[in-house]
Amino acid sequence: MRVNLVKDPYNIVITGVGGQGNVMASRVLSNMLVRKGFKVTIGETFGMSQRGGSVMSHIRVSSASVWSPQIPKGAADLIVALEPIEAIRVLAGYGNPSVKVVVNLRPIYPVGVITGEEEYPSAETIRATVTALAAEARFLAATEEAIRLGNPILGNIIMIGAVAGLGVLPIDREIFERVIRDGMPAARVEGNLRAFAIGEASVALKSPPSQ
Amino acid sequence: MALDREQKEEAEVLLMGNEAIARGALEAGVRVAAGYPGTPSSEIIETLSRSSETGKLYVEWSTNEKVAMEVAAAASFAGLRSLCVMKQNGVNVASDFLLHLTGSGTRGGMVLVACDDPGALSSANEGESRHFARLMEIPLIEPADFQEAKEMTRWAFDLSEQIRNIVMVRSVTRMSHASGNVVLGTLPALEGKAEFLCDGPLSDPERGPVVSAPVMAKHRLQQEKLRKAIALFEKSPFNAYSGPEKPELLIITSSACTLYSREAVSRLHAEERAGILKLGTTWPLPPMLLKRHLRKTQKVLIVEEVLPFLEDHVKILAAEQAREIGIKTFYGKNDGALPTVGELNPDLVADAVGRILGIDPPAIPAEYGEKLRRLTEFLPKRDQTFCPGCPHRASYWGIREALQRDHRGGFVCGDIGCYAMATLSQAAGFHTAKTLHAMGSGTGIASGFGKLGPFGMTQPVLAVCGDSTFYHAAIPALINAIHQRADMTFIVLDNGGTAMTGFQSHPGLDVNAMGEAAPMVDIAAICGAMGVPVTIEDPFDLIGTRETLNRLLEEPGVKILILKQSCALSPEKKGKKRFLMRVDDTLCRGEACGCNRLCTRIFRCPGLLWNRERKRAEIDEVICAGCGFCAGICPAGAIRSEEAAKP
Amino acid sequence: MQQQRRDPTEKGDGRRGQNELEEQVLRAGLCTGCGACVNICPYQAIHHDRTVTLHACDLAQGRCYACCPQTPADLSDLRRKLYGKTDCTPELGPMKGFFIARAADEGLRQGAQHGGTVTTLVTLALREGLIDAAVLAGEGEGLLPRSVTITDAKVAAKMGKSRFVVSPTVAEFNRVCRGDAAKIGVVATPCQAVALAKMRTQPVSEVESGIEKLHLVVGLFCGWALSWQKLAALLKAKTDLAQVTGMDIPPSRYHTLEVYTRGETIRVSLDEVTPCVREACHSCDDMTAEFSDLSVGSARLPEGWETARSWNQVIVRTQRGMDLLELARRRGVLEFREPPAENLQKLKAAALGKKKAAASRSKYLNSTANVEETDGFGS
Repeated sequence: MRVNLVKDPYNIVITGVGGQGNVMASRVLSNMLVRKGFKVTIGETFGMSQRGGSVMSHIRVSSASVWSPQIPKGAADLIVALEPIEAIRVLAGYGNPSVKVVVNLRPIYPVGVITGEEEYPSAETIRATVTALAAEARFLAATEEAIRLGNPILGNIIMIGAVAGLGVLPIDREIFERVIRDGMPAARVEGNLRAFAIGEASVALKSPPSQ
Repeated sequence: MALDREQKEEAEVLLMGNEAIARGALEAGVRVAAGYPGTPSSEIIETLSRSSETGKLYVEWSTNEKVAMEVAAAASFAGLRSLCVMKQNGVNVASDFLLHLTGSGTRGGMVLVACDDPGALSSANEGESRHFARLMEIPLIEPADFQEAKEMTRWAFDLSEQIRNIVMVRSVTRMSHASGNVVLGTLPALEGKAEFLCDGPLSDPERGPVVSAPVMAKHRLQQEKLRKAIALFEKSPFNAYSGPEKPELLIITSSACTLYSREAVSRLHAEERAGILKLGTTWPLPPMLLKRHLRKTQKVLIVEEVLPFLEDHVKILAAEQAREIGIKTFYGKNDGALPTVGELNPDLVADAVGRILGIDPPAIPAEYGEKLRRLTEFLPKRDQTFCPGCPHRASYWGIREALQRDHRGGFVCGDIGCYAMATLSQAAGFHTAKTLHAMGSGTGIASGFGKLGPFGMTQPVLAVCGDSTFYHAAIPALINAIHQRADMTFIVLDNGGTAMTGFQSHPGLDVNAMGEAAPMVDIAAICGAMGVPVTIEDPFDLIGTRETLNRLLEEPGVKILILKQSCALSPEKKGKKRFLMRVDDTLCRGEACGCNRLCTRIFRCPGLLWNRERKRAEIDEVICAGCGFCAGICPAGAIRSEEAAKP
Repeated sequence: MQQQRRDPTEKGDGRRGQNELEEQVLRAGLCTGCGACVNICPYQAIHHDRTVTLHACDLAQGRCYACCPQTPADLSDLRRKLYGKTDCTPELGPMKGFFIARAADEGLRQGAQHGGTVTTLVTLALREGLIDAAVLAGEGEGLLPRSVTITDAKVAAKMGKSRFVVSPTVAEFNRVCRGDAAKIGVVATPCQAVALAKMRTQPVSEVESGIEKLHLVVGLFCGWALSWQKLAALLKAKTDLAQVTGMDIPPSRYHTLEVYTRGETIRVSLDEVTPCVREACHSCDDMTAEFSDLSVGSARLPEGWETARSWNQVIVRTQRGMDLLELARRRGVLEFREPPAENLQKLKAAALGKKKAAASRSKYLNSTANVEETDGFGS
């Protein structure tokens, strides 16, 4: 029943800023994969890092074994960025010519940018940089879509939907729904399902690779 | 957090390391669990508290780690299985009791789970609890994956009962906060009556008083227990070798470093040349097992975090057995193959193994690598800061203004909690907090500074302390300061919970770890009982806070100020905006003389933005928590707040 | 003379900011506590009588520096802009007339320090609508005056005491001029008057300053002001500060500061008081508040101190000042007497003494003139 992975272990980095629901996104995605019969290892840190800092979850997906909770440098297969410059930060550490990247375009400005000491790169620069370094790059307005759904935090689920839409992992709406129904209050299920569908559709609509 | 918390037996689920440890304790039939919150350990007690059941499993957040260990010990003395949980420096706090407990021995299985933080990812230190195992002469075991985290914890209770002493399970951040597949086991029926048998003679470990005296006799007994543990360790399935029969290099490792070592060997395609001896029982080391594996080869690399603990002990055994196993070349911390500070990762281990075996680790194409290197040049860094709406930002703003007005070079002695960020990132605390050490130390240090007036010190001294920290360790220091007539201002930053670690309950709240109603122990009343007047202010009232502080700073002796305002992430506030904020463009002075971007340049709440094109401040509605404080600092009255509609 | 107050190599263009204010004034101990840099931005504040920096402002130029009375400025240019062709004496600045005057209301005289002239003029200006708000020094706590804004003439009549510690009057003006008041009068010490003059002539920020609302500056003669911290420490040892009702310095032969408490009068030797003088005052060369509409100080008369203490000397500098004084004469609220022939010469000598002392940056008050002709400021 289990589908083979395109690579074993398949290395996913989910990145963002504390408070964006990074941990929840990695949990949901990993649970879907565990239910599909894979061995999954998630590496993450929380604590001080959630106070406005960059956060990263490393997910290792394997048919057979437990892998290090830290992905080696340059070895990411898929980067899911809830925040645009975090996509670039993770690329700098874990990028390689075959990496796929999905980016939420809504910036969260670091303190240095708020204070004017540093400059936030333009949306064009971010797009061009990611596109130049990734085998496949997708850009979503996930936060804006989530605000339309009534809660910006759902941006993380839209991104998970987008990952499903990419077709690189054996996950789909059905397994997502099972995970969500088991793990969330019933009242929140519908919003999550809609968010997932938006993400999935927004990636499926475009013909890869972009640009 | 776990989506599969309530899974059935035999199910394979995704668990965080800490959840796996908690599950292991549940499968061992633990009856009492106590701890003090501390990253990366907190989720263990949190998970257990969700499983707690009146009369079956008792779980508490104790006031500090020493008390937690004492509470758990009592259950063991009464014949129940018990668990105490803490982060690395918590073991230091508990160590005085631990020294005596290891002498007195235990009855019901008792396990100490210590979660270390190599690399200080969420700590102000990277101290190691492993050394306590040797110091206290108790067994130490370290899980290397999530399944093992559960199995080992369960087994630790059996081991404790076999040797009648406490057993230490050591985890690290990359194990506790990582997650992986775990096959669940059976949950036992929780039975067994609590009874403390104490009618026997002092010499009877089963029915006598529990005490570490007579010391020599008990110490001798303790060492016998340890020898018994060694015998068990020799046969333990938690120690395993994988690799060729005669490897070129033997890697000896434990804990998360096992995963790094495996990945390193795999990345170097060195499976035929390097073997890995993964140790689960790391103190005392089983000598026969080590001898068997050390014989395999001449080169030995020890991979561990942080200091050479395993390395030193392996070397001692190798020296003792040199006649039989031959002379070895050791690689590890002492020769510089691996760093003695910070955490390890697969790359660091691969580099070390690669250097020893002469293999280059895989590299990305040079041209692509060059592009990656250039990326960081234009990336703004992301400094940690207080959350939007955080009362600490307001408190430090008030402290800054008061200290600047006071003009005598006053400073804050910081302490452990989110407010420690003021010391770690000076801009976050507006350059006020200048020391940071252990929990409660800010108060003790301030007590000391407060006696230096006769030696010419004229700077006013402040100590800050969170509400949970107050109960944990600040009270003795505060009593000292009062009794010694130290000149200091003691500020409790009371945000209504143990915010930094995830909002665990503490004695100031009306609910305990199990969600039951609990009596509140009031901080102001405690302070008042010490005989010092207490002032309570809301840090969001900038002028009131500042004026009170300026008044207190000029008074001699100990002055107590409680700054009370709930954490922005507290359950009652999270996701709810009290105010809808906006900036009136016509009033915002922007960069002009008369403001110069006070709100974004100095105050730096992440909910505020500086629009470079329009040269006006803005509110980021997604980030802003709606606390309203920034409206009060704007010199032009341009930041407007409007009461949000109640949901 | 004295066209440049400070280092003549400094350009008086005001193009500097908080950094230089900190370095050249605050840290150099030259702050007068006038409050010019306070309430214009969130970066400076007055605590007690000390100006402090709350946060760093990195602007290259700012009003804090431009309007500080202690930063370099071309005063002759300032004088030309504000006083035009008015006759200017080297010792006393612009002068249209010199008078000896006092409040006609004896009750008011008793409540005030000396002749009650300032109180009378402020009351009159408010009552006649020449101004609708007056900023002046009022009672604070523990010897510390506080700047207040008065819109009711009846209240002004009760505020006539001399202050020996500076109050942040310009800070209060900065606050009030953004409010509803349209015509504001300020009772200012010499340094405060200079700050206001600089504000009128050196607009730096695009943020509206409100200086156009300044309609009257009543200057106060001033020999020096005391540091609150030092004075409080000195007097704490002698009395309960809460009991102090007022202070005065009789002519120099007594060489004392008289401190009036509810119970008794405490006499403190000036040898003890002079070390409490603000550092900035030692280098001040303006005794008579030259940048005012009219300036008022205590009088010196041949009949002796007991008579003199109920009169004031008044220097009128602008037409607006003259109009006010004449209005007071017409309304009969001020009484006048002919100035004794030698009075103006003595005043000039005293003012010149202060200028000389400032020029030599004398650290101690050794000029009799300073103390004899002026006290702390006040009417």
